[in-house]
Amino acid sequence: MQIGFYFDQTRCTGCSACRVACKDWHDIPAGPENWMRVIYTEKGKFPDPSVSYMIAPCWHCTDPVCVPACPAGAIIKRKEDGIVFVDSDACLGNDECDEKCLKACPYNAPQFGPEKGAGMRKCNYCLDRFAEGKLPNCVEACPVRALDAGPLRELEDKYGKSREAEGFKYSQRTKPAVVIKPKERNRI
Amino acid sequence: MEDNLKERPGPNISGGEVRIVRTTSTFDCGGRCPLRLHVKDNKIIRVEGDDFSEPGQLRTCLRCRAYRQMVHHPERLMYPQKRTGARGEGKFERISWDEAYDTLAGELIRVKETYGNRGIFLATGGGYLASLHNAGFAASRLLTQFGGFVTHYGNISSEGAVWASLVQYGSVMVGHSREDMLNSKLIILWGWDPARMISGTNTMYHLIKAKENGARIVAIDPRYHDTAATVADEWIPIFPGTDTAMMAAMANVMIRENLYDQAFLDKYTVGFDKFEQYVMGREDGVEKTPAWASEISGVDASTIERLARVYATTRPAALMDCQGPARSAMGEQYNRCAMTLCAMTGNVGRQGGSAGGGLMGIPVGHMFRMSAIPPGKNPFELDGPNVKGTLDIGIRVVKRVHINKIFDAILKGKEGGYPSDIKMMWSMCNNYLNQTGNSNKAARALKKLEFFAVNELFMTPQAKYADLVLPVTSAAERSDLTRPWPSGPYYTFVNRAIEPLGECKSDFDIISDLAERLGIKDFNPYSEDEWLRMFVEKNPETGPQITDYEKFKREGIHRVSLPEPIVAFREQIEDIENKPFLTPSGRIEIFSQRAANLNNPLCPPIPMYMSTPEDRKDSLFEKYPLQLLTPHPKNRVHSDLYKVEWLREVEPHRVWINPVDAEARGIRDGDEVYVFNGRGKVAITAWVTERIIPGVISIFEGAWYDPDENGIDRGGCANTLTKDAYSGGGAAVMNTCLVEVVKA
Repeated sequence: MQIGFYFDQTRCTGCSACRVACKDWHDIPAGPENWMRVIYTEKGKFPDPSVSYMIAPCWHCTDPVCVPACPAGAIIKRKEDGIVFVDSDACLGNDECDEKCLKACPYNAPQFGPEKGAGMRKCNYCLDRFAEGKLPNCVEACPVRALDAGPLRELEDKYGKSREAEGFKYSQRTKPAVVIKPKERNRI
Repeated sequence: MEDNLKERPGPNISGGEVRIVRTTSTFDCGGRCPLRLHVKDNKIIRVEGDDFSEPGQLRTCLRCRAYRQMVHHPERLMYPQKRTGARGEGKFERISWDEAYDTLAGELIRVKETYGNRGIFLATGGGYLASLHNAGFAASRLLTQFGGFVTHYGNISSEGAVWASLVQYGSVMVGHSREDMLNSKLIILWGWDPARMISGTNTMYHLIKAKENGARIVAIDPRYHDTAATVADEWIPIFPGTDTAMMAAMANVMIRENLYDQAFLDKYTVGFDKFEQYVMGREDGVEKTPAWASEISGVDASTIERLARVYATTRPAALMDCQGPARSAMGEQYNRCAMTLCAMTGNVGRQGGSAGGGLMGIPVGHMFRMSAIPPGKNPFELDGPNVKGTLDIGIRVVKRVHINKIFDAILKGKEGGYPSDIKMMWSMCNNYLNQTGNSNKAARALKKLEFFAVNELFMTPQAKYADLVLPVTSAAERSDLTRPWPSGPYYTFVNRAIEPLGECKSDFDIISDLAERLGIKDFNPYSEDEWLRMFVEKNPETGPQITDYEKFKREGIHRVSLPEPIVAFREQIEDIENKPFLTPSGRIEIFSQRAANLNNPLCPPIPMYMSTPEDRKDSLFEKYPLQLLTPHPKNRVHSDLYKVEWLREVEPHRVWINPVDAEARGIRDGDEVYVFNGRGKVAITAWVTERIIPGVISIFEGAWYDPDENGIDRGGCANTLTKDAYSGGGAAVMNTCLVEVVKA
């Protein structure tokens, strides 16, 4: 089984409740370490601009390139559900390995705190909540219900298989576990 | 103590018991959301939201997601302090509560004996919106029993919309339940951005659902805000302060093309003929054509014509005006004209329509109907005029000071036409130096006071000017009752999640202790829980509805299920003869005799576009050729939560500027710039964006005023630039402000 995310880009207002809820649940201080990011895109010219937001957690790829990139074998993809997580004890820290996981990842999912030699941490699909049968905190936090999570197959059945959107390119190499309802330009 | 607070709660929840507390917050935020706080060892370690079954879940926004970082912020004030440096310098030393009480009680007595009670000014505010601990009521009661005091009238947010709604409908309950937007075929967001200012929990969600349900959505706004970017089919950029001109021109198109609902106007309104005369230019010789409005508003005449036709011929259609554009020099005219268009199109009292008016309140769970400690009759105001229901702001400021004139009143006193010479001020639940017009003037005024005491959570820009700072508890440290903002249909209970931190006390406890020192007996005879139970039981709304107080408390919320969405004035539209509007005529007053009786050119009896100081026709425009907007921020509640790092990093504080205006000034995205006018100068980072109309810049309100030695506000407080004035209807003129920008 492979878990995944659904993101409805047409609903996202860029409010960042998902990002703050993530920081709260995992107790990440303000600063460079952001397990959930919100990518802003602005295009076009006045009076016809177009704006979109794209969430950026870890996509728990089917073929996660971060796993083989790690010299310490600290990144593990769970067989039973496909969650990609970090063994913090095994992680060498960014000084030691020069952030090989981050360099490998097309989505900049691996995150590092500001401290010297920080270990890599990232979205773990809220493992603790997952174990209790709960949705990731970002999903429950979205005020406009733009996020969903669950087995990727079920998400595909429910929402379709679209995987391209402004601010996101599907990597055939890593196969991120996501389906997206992309935003078209609003203007008629 | 501070070290203790700096310790991160940590996600490790093993060891020690974790309690889940169902509660909510008390911010003046636009929502009211059930929270489940995870508490361990007197610390909130996590925040979860509502767990009610969908689709009825009331989801909190990012602000309360970061709630614990405010409650446990290392800069929370933890003990009473007295000033040691100059006013505004921010130097303080710790004192005991005994000394603090002696000082405040001593100053109250000294000022009363030296100048009389008229020397005492009480500044209350919206920083804490709940029944019991809303300090303003308790402090008013105390100072009433102490012989009287002077205070302020009105609020910064909504006076234009309130005045307009009272004139037109005789009521401020002009809203529909938000799910009624799903019945709309066309929704016009006229200066309304619920993605940021919330306008009731889940409002943005319902708006998105309305769009998904096929509604066409048009946004009229100087900014392409996040709501427009998410849902609008069309963005019509417009210059600030000119909405009324465009609306009048839409009325002109509807009249010329006979697209308006004459039967509706005949049955439910009075005075349309007078408005028609104005719009057709029969009195002043100026017909309010789309071309006329285009020249003023910057909106193409053809766009105005098209929107007028679409709005008049699409039913039902909801014109959603709000309060931001009404925070301007003739702001109430915008809401009045919007309401008039709602009547002309026959959308008032209809499902999927709207009544306009900008307030969006519904009569179930409205804050205005919340119980509170009865303040009593202030002796200072006893010989004043009767202000109840008056539309005459002049009468309201005989015994009170308009909220946007507090600091002018301190500086000028009776000689300046204000009710008294203010000698001391006691302030709570507000940061008015930062949140009313002209912060530099406010700073000057606060230096003039003989004594200034502040109840506060943080050392705010205003608290820095205090002689005495009293640390208060947050809503997480109190139990209380709250109402959704501005409406339900539900009621919420604030359950104390943690015991007071440091030496913090609730405002009510502070005020009660002070009462004892001042020799006022039996000021607070009940326990917190006895008060709350009494409030629930005796409130005419909650009394009959909430029969099980303990259950309400346990669940933190009482939801009201409505058989169908609330539609403002549905009753009047269904049966106007027996259920008239609450106006003197019993009809919607497009012409208001009460407004006419004011005999004030700023308060015309029909809605009208008028030229004002600091509009684009003002000669000052040559010197300061940019209009400043000061919208709500999404990552603060006004100036509350300013220190919360999780929220700060979501959106850097920047000034929005169009590339056309930026290039003309050699400004690039990310440059440091100065924004200035005759009132002040702020330093801020430029955000060059196509999302704002050229000629207008935008700074979100609420960033903290921080003047350097040259008087440049390094904090980027929008009100360093705004004017401390009000409109004919009492609106604070925050969005009528001319500025210039240069590269720093």
